[in-house]
Amino acid sequence: MTSDDTRVSAEAAETAGTGGTDEAPTVEAAEDLRADVDQTTGTDEAEALDPETSVWRGPTAWVIPALVAVLGAVALWGGLTIEAPPNATRPGPGAFPGTVGVLLLVTAVCMTVVNLRNRNTGDGTSTLGWFESRPVLLVLAGLVVHVALLEFVGWLLAGALLFWIVAYAFGARAYLRDAIVALSMSAAVQVGFSLGLGLSLPGGFLEMVL
Amino acid sequence: MDTLINLADGLAAALTPQNLMWAFLGVLLGTAVGVLPGMGSAMAVALLLPVTFRLDPTSAFILFAGVYYGGMFGGATTSILLNTPGQASSIATTYEGHKMALKGRAAQALGTAVIGSFVASVIGTLVVALFAPVMVSFALNFGPGEYFALTVFSFVAVAAVVSGSVVRGIASLLIGLAIGFVGIDGQSGAARFDFGSSSMLDGIDIVIVTVGLLALGEVLYIAARGKSAPNFAAIRTGRPWLGRKDLRRSWKPWLRGTAMGSAFGPIPGSGAEIPTFLSLGLERKLAERRERRTGEKSEFGQGAIEGVAGPESANNSSAAGTMVPLLGLGLPTSATAAIMLAAFQQYGLQPGPVLFERNADLVWTLLASLLIGSVLLLVINLPFAPLWAKLLKLPKPYLYAGITLFSVLAVYAINTSVTHLVMLLAIALLGLGMRTFGVPVAPALIGVVLGPIAETEFRRALAASSGDPSILVGSGISIGLYVLVLIAALVPLISLVRRRSAARRAEARETADRV
Repeated sequence: MTSDDTRVSAEAAETAGTGGTDEAPTVEAAEDLRADVDQTTGTDEAEALDPETSVWRGPTAWVIPALVAVLGAVALWGGLTIEAPPNATRPGPGAFPGTVGVLLLVTAVCMTVVNLRNRNTGDGTSTLGWFESRPVLLVLAGLVVHVALLEFVGWLLAGALLFWIVAYAFGARAYLRDAIVALSMSAAVQVGFSLGLGLSLPGGFLEMVL
Repeated sequence: MDTLINLADGLAAALTPQNLMWAFLGVLLGTAVGVLPGMGSAMAVALLLPVTFRLDPTSAFILFAGVYYGGMFGGATTSILLNTPGQASSIATTYEGHKMALKGRAAQALGTAVIGSFVASVIGTLVVALFAPVMVSFALNFGPGEYFALTVFSFVAVAAVVSGSVVRGIASLLIGLAIGFVGIDGQSGAARFDFGSSSMLDGIDIVIVTVGLLALGEVLYIAARGKSAPNFAAIRTGRPWLGRKDLRRSWKPWLRGTAMGSAFGPIPGSGAEIPTFLSLGLERKLAERRERRTGEKSEFGQGAIEGVAGPESANNSSAAGTMVPLLGLGLPTSATAAIMLAAFQQYGLQPGPVLFERNADLVWTLLASLLIGSVLLLVINLPFAPLWAKLLKLPKPYLYAGITLFSVLAVYAINTSVTHLVMLLAIALLGLGMRTFGVPVAPALIGVVLGPIAETEFRRALAASSGDPSILVGSGISIGLYVLVLIAALVPLISLVRRRSAARRAEARETADRV
């Protein structure tokens, strides 16, 4: 803590303790706030699309039911085929996966019923109009590249590349500055982890060169 | 009296400079993460989990306790300033809190939230210290059958409550249970769902599931939201402080909110949202009654300080309340608690009655550290709340790039294996899908953590009775728990309906105001 910070906290404690008779800072704050309010009104639109309460429509409505059904089938199949060691007590290792598999399939059926019932409501368009696949694919690509390169080029470069790609996906376009930030983040993590926690991250070919 | 002596001993043990530093760091990190929209304390604890393996258990739990409390408060900051709650437990705060900010009273709203959180944390922790031992003596009578009933109870409660749709909640829980099956079966030693991969034999590590579903899943989801994602334009605020009038109006809601949070916290699945909404509703009713009786105008709808003080105390005391079943029974009632349970397990500790007997000093130190955490919460956040709001000015690309980097690091740090990173990718995709289609992720986390416990207890019970299923309902405790399962399934449904209609009313009022 710097001396500046301590001064601030002491002052705050004082105002809280005395019930705050000093009006000046709040007036200032109120003005700041008013100036900023105009910029934040846009958040109201974002609230309108809350996935947890929205109904699934269009072809994408079947993604989760299909996923649940596939998981259920795998769990049920596993439950029936797992070989229990001969001395195992009953219920064996397959009982629970089998039960959960059946329940998953039942849930998938319930979702299907809900989907069919909702099919004729709304205007038939998908409720996922907001979904932007480009940045998602970019982030995923960054992750795949990172996983593929990590043990060859080392944490420093692979981590920096991951940071840079994700930043790009989120709209950063100051390429050089982004690269510098990415490298310093990655380096800070590597140094912090090996010094502070004794954890070794892969050095990659840099380790051999240096 | 014993309780207080034990707590004092715990306090003495926790008050080392080193532990204070961990608590400080925890509150700091928790608040920082809680401020970021969509990221709660569960994510902060998940990201920290692998790092803390190098610490001794006491320090790790002190860190977690700080994160938990800090996250609760961090969520309030964005609710008030930006109308974007960082997590479900701070939704109730947005209604009156943001209106206060719009009226230029952001500082007072933050002030009442900080002090309310502090009051609630201290009282909540004392309640935990008093009740956890009671719960333990009760739990000593538990056999496998009772434990199985208990897990069923929390499954039903969690799945029914957290989601807007019960079917989606149950689907999420089942997905979590299915993930929990991967690996060698602890009872019989049979390999399950390993798909021929040797690294799957150890099961899917809880860190992978939490980081994938919560952190990386969220990053992908925000990327998908693109322009429709909440835009946190810069908002500034003064230092939080309260005038005498605000204090006079705040202290009763603080205590009422605290009482509600403490009552609901230990109930599995009730989470922190229900008490916050109940508190908001209660304060509104009381303000209306006051208006009729004394003519003091109710400010609800225009930024009433009571509407911030109540819910903010309620969510912090319910955070403390979740420690009662976690420590006393080994039963997590929220996503964060589920991860903390996983952390206990990583240290080879099983929360519950046995923990109280064998590692009593650890338990009391943890409880004492909750007290320290709440003091630090006050110290850090009263002066620095405006700084937290500035965190939102960090360029969004760097923010999410940083979270991605730490997610990968957290998983790689578990056992330095690239295979686990591939699993992380798969789970993150699952998380993206669940978020996109509005399937809540918290039940899945509870399923992953509690599923194996449920299965083990079930099979142990049947093994003990040589296959006779009546052992499952063989005692008053388990029958009582199954009755509670029914209640747990029904009560939240009723309150969900009521909450929705309350939200609709609030919305209607909002639009009316705008016109």
